[in-house]
Amino acid sequence: MFDSFLFIGLPYVAIVFLLVGSIIRYKLRAFSYSSLSTQFLENRWLAWASLPWHFGITLILLGHVLAFACPGIWSALVSIPTFLTMVEALGILSSLLCLISLMVLLIRRFVDAKLQAVTSHLDVLVLLILFFQVFSGLMVALHHRWGAAWAPGALGPYIHSIFTFKPDASFVKEMPPFVKIHIASAWVLILLFPLTRLVHALALPFHYFFRSPQKVVWNNTRSQIRFEQRIESENERRLFLKAAFGTTASAALLSLGALDKFLGYFLKQDLTNAEEAHLLSKKLQRLKQSAEERELELERMSKDSIFVANLSDLSSAKGKYFIDYEMRPALAFRDGQGLPIVLSAKCTHLGCTVGQDVDNQGRILCPCHISYFDIKTGQPNTGAPAKAPLPHLGWVLKDSQGHELLAQDPDGRREGAINSSQLENSLLFIVKRFS
Amino acid sequence: MKDRKSKFLKLVTFLSERMPIQKLSFESMVTKKEVPVHRMSWAYYMGGLTLLFFLIQLGTGVFLLFYYQPTVSDAHASVEYITYFVNSGFLIRNLHTWSSSCMILCLLAHMITTFAMKAFARPREITWLSGTMLLILTFAFGFTGYLLPWHQIAVNATKVVLQSIEEAGHYLPGILSTLPSYIKEIIQGEASVGQATLSRFYALHVVILPLLFLATLGSHVLSVQLHGMSQGVDTPSKKAERFFPFFILKDFWLWGVAFLIVFILALCLPFESFYAYPLFEAYDALGSTPEGIKPEWYFYFLYYPLEILPFWMVMLGMTLSGIGLFLTPWIFKNTSRKALSIIALMITAYLIIITLFGQNIYDMFKGTTP
Repeated sequence: MFDSFLFIGLPYVAIVFLLVGSIIRYKLRAFSYSSLSTQFLENRWLAWASLPWHFGITLILLGHVLAFACPGIWSALVSIPTFLTMVEALGILSSLLCLISLMVLLIRRFVDAKLQAVTSHLDVLVLLILFFQVFSGLMVALHHRWGAAWAPGALGPYIHSIFTFKPDASFVKEMPPFVKIHIASAWVLILLFPLTRLVHALALPFHYFFRSPQKVVWNNTRSQIRFEQRIESENERRLFLKAAFGTTASAALLSLGALDKFLGYFLKQDLTNAEEAHLLSKKLQRLKQSAEERELELERMSKDSIFVANLSDLSSAKGKYFIDYEMRPALAFRDGQGLPIVLSAKCTHLGCTVGQDVDNQGRILCPCHISYFDIKTGQPNTGAPAKAPLPHLGWVLKDSQGHELLAQDPDGRREGAINSSQLENSLLFIVKRFS
Repeated sequence: MKDRKSKFLKLVTFLSERMPIQKLSFESMVTKKEVPVHRMSWAYYMGGLTLLFFLIQLGTGVFLLFYYQPTVSDAHASVEYITYFVNSGFLIRNLHTWSSSCMILCLLAHMITTFAMKAFARPREITWLSGTMLLILTFAFGFTGYLLPWHQIAVNATKVVLQSIEEAGHYLPGILSTLPSYIKEIIQGEASVGQATLSRFYALHVVILPLLFLATLGSHVLSVQLHGMSQGVDTPSKKAERFFPFFILKDFWLWGVAFLIVFILALCLPFESFYAYPLFEAYDALGSTPEGIKPEWYFYFLYYPLEILPFWMVMLGMTLSGIGLFLTPWIFKNTSRKALSIIALMITAYLIIITLFGQNIYDMFKGTTP
């Protein structure tokens, strides 16, 4: 019975009272249609309380209105976990902000002598009910988590039923006490609305945005100058504070975003087994490569001759890279008579490694600055950036038993002799004595 | 004796005019400092912007140090690891590359505008000199940092540059002709670009250059604050803006915008996407040099002339302009800002044309098609 009164009777009384009361008050006493400002009487506390209160309550009301007016869109939005967490966090933070500011507003009503002179019982009552209302809302939020997600479904139909004149409070009657208290005291607030300073919510001075600016002018020159100086220094301070606040806030946001990214940088990396294996094999391969290079170096220090290739594997179209005694790249080809051509592959211009493919004019290309080198003579083409020829290296052909058959020094002088059958099976070496 | 003393006094007066430490107070450097307002005022922000990018380099550089391994066998793999596996590693690395380019861009703009505004004139000679040092240090940062990823383009480009140093020996007389190859050997550390080179570049890039840079930067910024902003235009502007809080807040605002831009660029566009991939494979000491080896874009102003003109001509030009850069405060002592602006515009035009169209000009001269 009592529940029916609270959730069906009271709402209709409140709504009727709100409509009729607001209209009558506007008709009879339009000038009282605001909240009596106390800013002149006490400004320091007010600045820290009124602004946060209005910010907080606007956000909270916006959330309530959206959730109950467009339940479909709202439900879709809160099904995103991030959004839901954000809404809940924002709601709780806003209500804390509201509670603190309401407390300050209450306290100042009681400690300031000037204020007490203009404070009515209703002013205090409104503050107390607002405090109670926000507090009960916070309790709902803390005890019955994720209200943003469940409320549209659980309470939406009730609100809807009230406004469509088919009141049905059966859902609400089953709700936990905090929710019931929150709803009932909301109706009380609506009931009180036309009687108290709350009506100022209906008198929004939107035309302030569009009217032309007003300038206060003193009719006494000295006062005017002093006034302007004060305004200027105040403006400057305000500008600085604003900018400093903006900079700090954006720096804070930035560091938050950056931290999100950058902290992860030091966390353990999330690699799959396959990725781990791939990485490890790559690393090993590189280490082997380095080891091979070291081995090549050691080999060149200790050995008198170094194997380059089987002569039969060489061709005149594509050179074979190897490393000479100075650890520089070199190329080995085979000429028309079947004899080897061995020359340095380090470009004589700026030291790039010359390519291995022979073009149809018998030349190889250094890709860095486009010099063509004739593989027979080593000479660069005319006009090439490289001026000096690629030097020839000395070489030795050996048979499979390791006997030297034919040798050529870097200047092209040959010693020894070789027949064509030996040639096919011979092995190409470079030797220390020619380097 | 008397002569010596007066010389000493002259030196003291010279220095005290250049480094007016009596102005070393919070009042004159912060609260009373003013920034002239005129049509070139935007140029006063360039130095600060360069500083922002340097700070980004410092921050991201330290981050990279945590994973980078400066050895021939591991360097490339560790950079790849940062890019593909470390959380937000790609972001840090892209920020480092993007912001390095931005830093050089702002630095050049800063230098050219200070030149055009005659901000080097007495008593700001030392500020100009330390700025020139910072320019050289920044190029050194770019050069040493380029090698560290140890990919094909990095190692081969470094090889080419080091070989070019040796090349300069052919144009020097007598005993001096061996000097460049000594220098090359000192930088390179072994017969060809290898582990020794990598270690040297690493030490330079992460320890020596930053320390030098910070020291020089300290002196640069201090002398800027001591002298205040230069007037910037021939007829001093009547309007001025307080440095604190107005100018500095605008400066911070600009920093925010610049950071946002670089951050988005780093997030969306890897710097390496401007080149063909084979250039970013690990360096292969035994293979042929791939095509398309080039230095970073900020060396194009030097690279393309080297490709097109005779070596001695470029060397001579660079030496002269290097000396000119250091002697600017004395060479252009009596030049009007109008004339300086024309020179600055010509330099800017050269830099822009050679950087954007260098390849086309090269193709035109060589008769090759790209």
